[in-house]
Amino acid sequence: MLEMRRAFFSKRALWVYLLALFPAVIFVGHGISVKMQRSEFAGKSVVSAAVLDRVTVGTLDTEVLAAAGQPLLDRSWERRDVKRRTLMYFDGSRRVWFEFENGALRDTRRRELSSMEEDRKIYAGMFQYFYLRLAVFFGCLGIFINLFRGEMIDKSLHFWFLAPVRREVLLLGKYCAGLIASAVIFGGGAVLSFGALLAYQTNADLQAYWQTDALYHGTWYVISAMLGCVGYGSVFLAAGLLLRNPIIPALVMLLWESINGFLPDLLQKLSVLHYLQSICPVPPPMDPNVPPLLRLVLAPAEPTSAWVAILGVLGVTALVLYVASRAVRRLEINYGTE
Amino acid sequence: MAVFRRGYERYDGPLTGPVTRFMAIPRFAWGKILSQRFVVVLLVLSLFWPLLCAGFVYVSNHADLLPNLGGMQGPMAKLLEINGKFFAVFMNVQSTFAILLAAIAGPGLVAPDLANNALPLYFARPMSRWTYIGARMMVLFGILSLVTLVPGLFVFGMQASLASTAWLQANWWLGQGLVLGFVLYIAMVSLVALACSAYVKWRVVAGALVLAFFFVLAGAAQMINQILRVEWGSLLNPGFAIYTVWCALLGVEAVEDAPGAWECFAVLMLMLGGLLAVLLRKLRPVEVVS
Repeated sequence: MLEMRRAFFSKRALWVYLLALFPAVIFVGHGISVKMQRSEFAGKSVVSAAVLDRVTVGTLDTEVLAAAGQPLLDRSWERRDVKRRTLMYFDGSRRVWFEFENGALRDTRRRELSSMEEDRKIYAGMFQYFYLRLAVFFGCLGIFINLFRGEMIDKSLHFWFLAPVRREVLLLGKYCAGLIASAVIFGGGAVLSFGALLAYQTNADLQAYWQTDALYHGTWYVISAMLGCVGYGSVFLAAGLLLRNPIIPALVMLLWESINGFLPDLLQKLSVLHYLQSICPVPPPMDPNVPPLLRLVLAPAEPTSAWVAILGVLGVTALVLYVASRAVRRLEINYGTE
Repeated sequence: MAVFRRGYERYDGPLTGPVTRFMAIPRFAWGKILSQRFVVVLLVLSLFWPLLCAGFVYVSNHADLLPNLGGMQGPMAKLLEINGKFFAVFMNVQSTFAILLAAIAGPGLVAPDLANNALPLYFARPMSRWTYIGARMMVLFGILSLVTLVPGLFVFGMQASLASTAWLQANWWLGQGLVLGFVLYIAMVSLVALACSAYVKWRVVAGALVLAFFFVLAGAAQMINQILRVEWGSLLNPGFAIYTVWCALLGVEAVEDAPGAWECFAVLMLMLGGLLAVLLRKLRPVEVVS
């Protein structure tokens, strides 16, 4: 209880909450923006999608104006002796921007006001690239390293060791406290962000998704976040116990997880992230910032089946905790070196 | 005179020079940091990329010796050209090592002084808060220069010596951009490391915070861009902001549709200001215990 209270309510826990709730906040912000845009475009003039799709690169701006009529936005400016103009139209669901250079169409951008399919892909990318890889990782680092290393820095570990409890039981108790706290915070964060994603969808989209995959997807996202806490938690607890500077293994692990996609299949399976990604319901889109050359060597391994992934993470956790329990039994406190 | 009658009075003996006083902290800290095995390993690892780049510079200046490449004509010439893009990539790779080094070496600089209430011992001497911060930054400047400025100038110097004088006359500003870019980067990374170290007081947690600062902000920036379908989110990513500034300094075309160099520079200055404010707030010669 003492450790759990510390993990939930200490000043440092605020940063963990921030990490866990940040995606939900951004999705809520996006939801508000989408709703505002929907009401803004509700009364605007609509141009047929077929007319807008017929416009090709090289078309003159006068021809576009003649075919599609008055745009919702018409902006002209000059830069480095090139006359630029942007026209924006709305076809009922998408906004279309035509970018002209010296009167000829150079580029066309289309963006839907909101697209459930696109949002689900973005959520999958956010969950796997940001939430699991960074938020859960650093959150668990903050929570679990404190359990033993923090006590040593505070010079208070001997109080725990003086209690009439076996050290292995103490280790397990501390791990369970950290696990409950992190699982509630990050599981809750996943639920909130998934809820925020659904909150601004249209009724038709929402109903269709709810009747098919919504519950299944949401459940696996939460399980994946919690399993991340189980796996990373055990590793960081052991690192805090075994090493004076647990940042070094954390750094190595972070780098290992970051280059995971570039490694051969067998090595990819030696990371927590591979198993967590295996149980995520939607594969993440390719990171748009990856340079083309690196995309060639990026070859994600075949996902492991969900139950094997869960059992794998639990098995590794049990092994790490066993090693940690052996270490805690022999642990001699030497505050002077901290 | 009885001991209890001796009052404390100001030291009026000879003082050491300001530079000697300033360098006292770095002198001891450098020795301590370089005695860490992991720091040495990182320093050695960080030299591989500059060596590869030096090899590339050599090949690019001796392409005529490789008949299979067809000399310095055609597409090969463009591929082997030493230009701003080459130095931008070089700086980008070396900057990763700088972050790792800062995460290992930085937290041990301020956190122990704060955790053990040692600041009054420093400030009781003729040393201001600014001198203390400057001296601590000097420690990191020295260490991070070993993976950034020194190899960068080595590669630039090698290219300047192997290429013709005309190349140097036409591209001297690349060297200037490299130095300015790395100095700005070192200042940012050092301030991040010192501010994290001062903020959490625990060396271990401070190291994690330094890593989190760069990695989480990069992830958060990407997430904002994706979810909100905007580009300004990249401004939150210090790595992106500094890279954009480097591109401007090296005359390289930056990412299209992304915030420009001046916007990135302004955000970096704001970040530096914020980090400095955290440092000044935490580094006080007195502590009020309520």
